[in-house]
Amino acid sequence: MNAVRIDPQKALAEAAQFNQRIATGFKTLRALDEVDYGVSAKEEIYREDKLVLYRFKGEHKPTAKTPLLITYALVNRPYMVDLQDDRSLVKHLLALGEDVYLIDWGYPDQSDRYLTLDDYINGYIDRCVDAVAKRCKVDKINLLGICQGGAFSLCYASTHRDKIRNLITMVTPVDFHTPDNMLSVWTRSMDVDLFVDTLGNVPADLMNWCYLTLKPVRLLQQKYIGLVDILDNKAEVENFLRMEKWIFDSPDQAGEAFRQFVKDFYQANKLVTGGLKIGDKDVSLKNVTMPILNIFAEQDHLVPPNSSRALKQHAGTKDYTEVAFKGGHIGIYVSGRAQREVPGAIHDWLSSR
Amino acid sequence: MSGTKSPQDWMKDWQALQKQYWTAWTDATRGVKPDMPDPATPWHEGFEQWSRMFADAGKQSETLERLMASARNYSALMQSMINAAAGKPAGEGAAQAWTDALRQGFNFPGADALLQNNPLAQMLKGIQGPGVQSFDQLSQTFAPFLAQAKQEGMSWLNAPAFGYLREHQEHYQKMAVAFVEYQEATAKYNELMLKASQRGFEIFQDKLAAREEPGRQIETPRALYDLWVDAAEEAYQEIALSDDFRKVYGDVVNAQMRVRSQIQQEVERVGVDLGMPTRTELNSVHKRLHELRRELRGSRSAETSGQIEALRAEVLQLREQLQEKQAKPAPAVAPAKPKPRRAGPVRKRAAAVAQPRSASKQAVGSFAEALKSMKKNKPGSRA
Repeated sequence: MNAVRIDPQKALAEAAQFNQRIATGFKTLRALDEVDYGVSAKEEIYREDKLVLYRFKGEHKPTAKTPLLITYALVNRPYMVDLQDDRSLVKHLLALGEDVYLIDWGYPDQSDRYLTLDDYINGYIDRCVDAVAKRCKVDKINLLGICQGGAFSLCYASTHRDKIRNLITMVTPVDFHTPDNMLSVWTRSMDVDLFVDTLGNVPADLMNWCYLTLKPVRLLQQKYIGLVDILDNKAEVENFLRMEKWIFDSPDQAGEAFRQFVKDFYQANKLVTGGLKIGDKDVSLKNVTMPILNIFAEQDHLVPPNSSRALKQHAGTKDYTEVAFKGGHIGIYVSGRAQREVPGAIHDWLSSR
Repeated sequence: MSGTKSPQDWMKDWQALQKQYWTAWTDATRGVKPDMPDPATPWHEGFEQWSRMFADAGKQSETLERLMASARNYSALMQSMINAAAGKPAGEGAAQAWTDALRQGFNFPGADALLQNNPLAQMLKGIQGPGVQSFDQLSQTFAPFLAQAKQEGMSWLNAPAFGYLREHQEHYQKMAVAFVEYQEATAKYNELMLKASQRGFEIFQDKLAAREEPGRQIETPRALYDLWVDAAEEAYQEIALSDDFRKVYGDVVNAQMRVRSQIQQEVERVGVDLGMPTRTELNSVHKRLHELRRELRGSRSAETSGQIEALRAEVLQLREQLQEKQAKPAPAVAPAKPKPRRAGPVRKRAAAVAQPRSASKQAVGSFAEALKSMKKNKPGSRA
């Protein structure tokens, strides 16, 4: 028996429908406004250089006594955690009574080229933690690090144990040398000194190109063919465009911080092999002794699940919890399942500590 | 059944579909682009026209471009598959024939001839962006110059430079060498992309073979396309995680950086000649500024921690003095003269002074209490 039983007449109808959808879909596209993002009200509580520290304001006063600071990656904008009304980790956390703060790193320019990981972790993050703690009149706060921000949070928690009560890591790379880590394979033969010395800051377009090439057919073609299916639905197209904006609204990367991140994390895998130093502080995961909730995505193509799972083996804590989310690196913030599962898991875990 | 149609009937259906297609386009463009294209035009060319028309669409233009590029490729693919299906009874055609039709779909007229049968490389080439595309264009600009250099055996690029312009000549030679190396590295990268594309078609054929059992058969061009996407990604992953790819990828990136670096140096030299500030100078200023900030923070921090240390030492000293004082036996006190009875206010004062005395008998509760106690009991000490 043949594997393909395409009825030519039905195929013609499918082709006609595809073309008609595009043709008529232009009416939808022309009628769209600029997409907005970020739904929860927020106030600025600290500012330094291009960084802004926000506190989100929920409809009710927070019931949690310890504030929760979200540290996002440098490579994308942090509004992904509060993208739109029905896709917002922040909104759900606020509704559950958490007191949520977020670091917005801003868009580095050439004047930020010499910012180091020490500046980011022992400088910016530390001062944000102090600002939150001072505002809430507490000695320790809860820290939620996402992706690269999770790796930063681990470094910070390792060297500032006196300031972190509970640590949550989401889609965070820990072991950078798992065999399925494509970014790691690609960066290991790169001369990162030549790269940064030449480029200065690493352009966002170059970073995006790299991410697209992780799954070129799906991300460069199939996704847009899927868009044709929803072209007649304004709300769906707006969701698509909002996501599209987030994906490509990427900051350039401060050169020196990028250099160290690639060398020490991607190339030397020092977070698990040891010898990592941020500024004058030695980082060891064994010093991460506070309770840890590690959430990772089972279909993550950027941070393979095994890369995150490695935290269990290397962290010094005796209170370690792991949550495997059925979805991908992006779905963990925005999918319907994520809205149902992730904020609740975080809140329940924090409440029980 | 559709499978029993004659080729003539298919031709009629095909023409009807073409007409329907172009009518839809014309409806959509009414008032925007009045002239109707020739219905005999291949489908994907319609998308080319639309891409051009919406090139300045502003806010959504980039998404539109990506949408049109994908739709153009997919449309050509569909056309190829429908051509393959037309005139055959449903179900006829082996996996190889469908694979060929799919492969042909990527080689539509207008597609890059150098990237025939290499859909992965076609897709990667299509990525826009100032960090990527402009560099590719630059490389193309230099291509004739490099071709000539290659014809001459590249020997002159290694020849020593002489005289007044030797420095400049040396720079140009380095730049040309970097370009050649970049081209060579890119060629190796494209070879691997071709290998991944070919492997993708092989996996596709295997996946097709696995769909032969009833209930798992492919019934639409879209399902066939999705199956190919799975196969192509699988093949790409195989290659992209290999040691070969790691080396080739590193070589391409490093070679590109050498070219960029050479160009930057050349631009800087021109800038210096024209009295313009250069990137190197700005970098130097930025670097110094950051170092200065770190120094400032460090010294502030050191100053603060110095003060804290001094305070700690002082508190320790005070504690010791307090303990010393507590350890000494209480001095003999002469019996107090009986005081004349006074009114209320005096009693109140006596109560007030009694408090610290009683406090001094207890273990020190806090630094504040200790300090207060010291002030009352040892006026000469620093507090």
